[in-house]
Amino acid sequence: MPMVSRRQFLQAGAAAGLASCPGAVFAQGVGMPAPFDDYRALVCVFLFGGNDSFNMLVPRSAAEHAAYAASRQNLAIERAALLPINPATPDGAQYGLHPAMPGVQSLFESGRAAFVTNVGPLIRPTTREQFLAGAVPLPPQLFSHNDQQDQWHSLKGRNVTRTGWAGRVADLVRAAVSDQRMATNASLFGTSLYQSAEQTVAYVMGPGGPVQFEGFGTTGVLLEQRRAFERIIGADYDTVYERAYAEIQQRAVASADRVGAALAGAPVLATAFPATPLGRQLETVARLVAVRDELAMQRQIFFVAAGGFDTHDNQVADQPGLLGGVSEALAAFYSATAELGIAESVTSFTQSDFGRTLTSNGDGTDHAWGGNQLVVGGAVRGQELYGRYPLLEIGGPDDVGGGRMIPTTSADQYAATLARWFGIDDADLDIVAPAIANFAERDLGFLP
Amino acid sequence: MPFERQRDRIDAWFRNALHGEDQLRQRVAFALSEILVVSQNGALASYPYALAGYYDLLAEHAFGNYRELLEAVTLHPAMGIYLSMLGNEKPDPDRNIRPDENYARELMQLFSIGLVQLHPDGTPVLDADGVPVPTYDQAVIEGFAHVFTGWHFAGAASFRQAFPTAQNQVVPMQLYPAFHDDGAKQLLNGTVLPPGQGGQADLEAALDNIFQHPNVGPFIARRLLQRLVTSNPSPGYVRRVADVFDDNGAGVRGDLGAVVRAILLDAEARPALPMEIDGKIKEPLLRLTQLWRAYDAQSAGGGYPFVAASVFLGQGPLQAPSVFNFFSPDYAPPGEIRDSSLTAPELEIATEYQNTLVTNLFFYQVFGLNSASTGLEADDIVIDIDAEIALADDADALLDRVGDTLLGGEMSAVLRAEIAGMLARIPADDAALRAAEAIYLVVTSPEFAYQR
Repeated sequence: MPMVSRRQFLQAGAAAGLASCPGAVFAQGVGMPAPFDDYRALVCVFLFGGNDSFNMLVPRSAAEHAAYAASRQNLAIERAALLPINPATPDGAQYGLHPAMPGVQSLFESGRAAFVTNVGPLIRPTTREQFLAGAVPLPPQLFSHNDQQDQWHSLKGRNVTRTGWAGRVADLVRAAVSDQRMATNASLFGTSLYQSAEQTVAYVMGPGGPVQFEGFGTTGVLLEQRRAFERIIGADYDTVYERAYAEIQQRAVASADRVGAALAGAPVLATAFPATPLGRQLETVARLVAVRDELAMQRQIFFVAAGGFDTHDNQVADQPGLLGGVSEALAAFYSATAELGIAESVTSFTQSDFGRTLTSNGDGTDHAWGGNQLVVGGAVRGQELYGRYPLLEIGGPDDVGGGRMIPTTSADQYAATLARWFGIDDADLDIVAPAIANFAERDLGFLP
Repeated sequence: MPFERQRDRIDAWFRNALHGEDQLRQRVAFALSEILVVSQNGALASYPYALAGYYDLLAEHAFGNYRELLEAVTLHPAMGIYLSMLGNEKPDPDRNIRPDENYARELMQLFSIGLVQLHPDGTPVLDADGVPVPTYDQAVIEGFAHVFTGWHFAGAASFRQAFPTAQNQVVPMQLYPAFHDDGAKQLLNGTVLPPGQGGQADLEAALDNIFQHPNVGPFIARRLLQRLVTSNPSPGYVRRVADVFDDNGAGVRGDLGAVVRAILLDAEARPALPMEIDGKIKEPLLRLTQLWRAYDAQSAGGGYPFVAASVFLGQGPLQAPSVFNFFSPDYAPPGEIRDSSLTAPELEIATEYQNTLVTNLFFYQVFGLNSASTGLEADDIVIDIDAEIALADDADALLDRVGDTLLGGEMSAVLRAEIAGMLARIPADDAALRAAEAIYLVVTSPEFAYQR
């Protein structure tokens, strides 16, 4: 069947307004990192649906809790039920955690965990007055799931982008980690814009690691079958779809062998992980960290996730399981990295679509904006709250309506802090976090 | 119990998809199920009857009117449970309680008009700065959220005593007027609903307001085109289909039968000179149904209770991970597709991981569950390859037959040569293995994953 050539197609595409995106920012860093002499890993724990994080980290002092309780009504957690935490640098109020999170309480109190409070996508610092007057540029489609996930993943603001901030970080360190035998970005929870890059391609494995191809043998007909399969997926194809599909298959075959073999030699961990999807993913990440030398890894960014946080309904019944699941899995993961003697080099952190309305819709909450995020690891300057915790008051100074908190710290600042620890040069943080120049602090200080 | 019933639901889906007399209706219903999404994953896990009834509704309305479909979907308990309109009640300001915005938001964003204003050809309307113009704001979402108050399972003694039964989860939700907000409501395009007209009138007027928005035609046209024909329909193709949505030729707006006809009979659906961006990746579930249909798959027990479909394929009937479906209509994989500002939605789930599982599923199916296999169990779904086995000693004849059956007679030279090479290594008297080898290498090939 005759096929139109790529040149003809591109001409047709241009005529139809499909010209390829011109202003794409390539991650050509100014301060390309030198080869690393150590290992560091970032583990993004994405809480899909929008975590109601003002019920995760809650004011415990009387006046602040009273404002919180008045706003949240039937969704409020009683003061006496909160698990107390004691930040080393008090801000005048006291705080506690959701009662389902003793694991995180213990990590926080022992200095292994910190919170970044009321953080979210912003283009520049924004006040309620500016928001209501339309006086500042805002990320488009606030309160929409996929758009705000994309904001967290990409930090794109009002720009069109096709890369995520982890993807840009991977591109920036590409030259320094050229010996790695696995992609810098690895996902255990599917494709994400977060890890999308211009020059590097993320590797997607299963929650238990790579699966092997059945029917691939090392001798005889099964070896021949494998070779035939590889030649078929390595052939030239006429359409963009077949070519893209074949490329994924090629990566799958190559990585299944390499990563699977390394993982098979991972030590048995004494740390027990919860038997949940998130627990299983984090256990696999711990095992991959354990075999980092076999894969010659120096820098890794893992993407894991849990779902179910879109608590429009049944929030009081569902939230303990959701937050308890995060707490238990993150505590186990920290223990595993300590067991492996690598805790100082692995930082895990949460991201989520958005915070949720302080007001209730009867038995749940709706989509909002700022929220609290959790950072865990041996390198974390823990037992601290970073950023300003807002007054949880309906119609208060940080509320744009219904108890939707304007972030007081930007997701760009959060990402830049993580990226700098990972090894990104200060001058290149603007590539990772494009709006960072609009904020006074380029580094929130929760990592060294 | 719900698990067994969900298995029955999957079984029924495969029976209809494979053997239904109404193949086009079933195919369009599946496409609609990926646009007007509800899912077993989440609140509906324990509502198999609601899910089954919802799918029947999609099939029933597949060639009907989109306005009626929107109303049927809005009032179906499956949607009511999934996007929490069921039980949504009027505000209680003293307790800081306001209506649930979930359904209001997703109805507009995903089921009808989308986030940004569209030209009739589906391209976005841009403002002076080149930024797409939004279709609505938070005030409109809140207006619709107030519209969708007061509805619950039908037939209960009261709103507060409405609990699910096998019966009430398959019939439309009922209005309980005391729980409906009777204030004025901000809708799209500056329309404000007057206070006090009641929940039914509010609902009708609100759905009319959405249905009449000029975005609906191009929005739904692009989504159906992507599901049925090509990932990258030209703006002209979108416009031609949207025009039919706007007016079926007899002055009727929203005639889905006419829309499907316009999609499938357009010159761009079967271009004389194919371009390398025509067509799409075939979803894994549809690759499986194609294989099963081609080889008349059956189980001894008579059904298709393949509950592991979603594990192997990354998708299954009404099993999306969220209301955003299995993949985004705008997904572009890295490489030439993204570099050319094109999309390939189905590739969002074609990860290294999922592709390996799909490949392995086909391995188990073709080599292990065929008509020459032994030790089968009642639930094993078995493909009938007797005809292929019968001519397996003749490699050319086998290749011709498999190519005709699975690839419309257009097997590439590379694939043909590779299969022939493998057949040369398998003894001629091992007919079942030769037949299976040929089928396996076809169904795991890039060309089988592609729909022209």
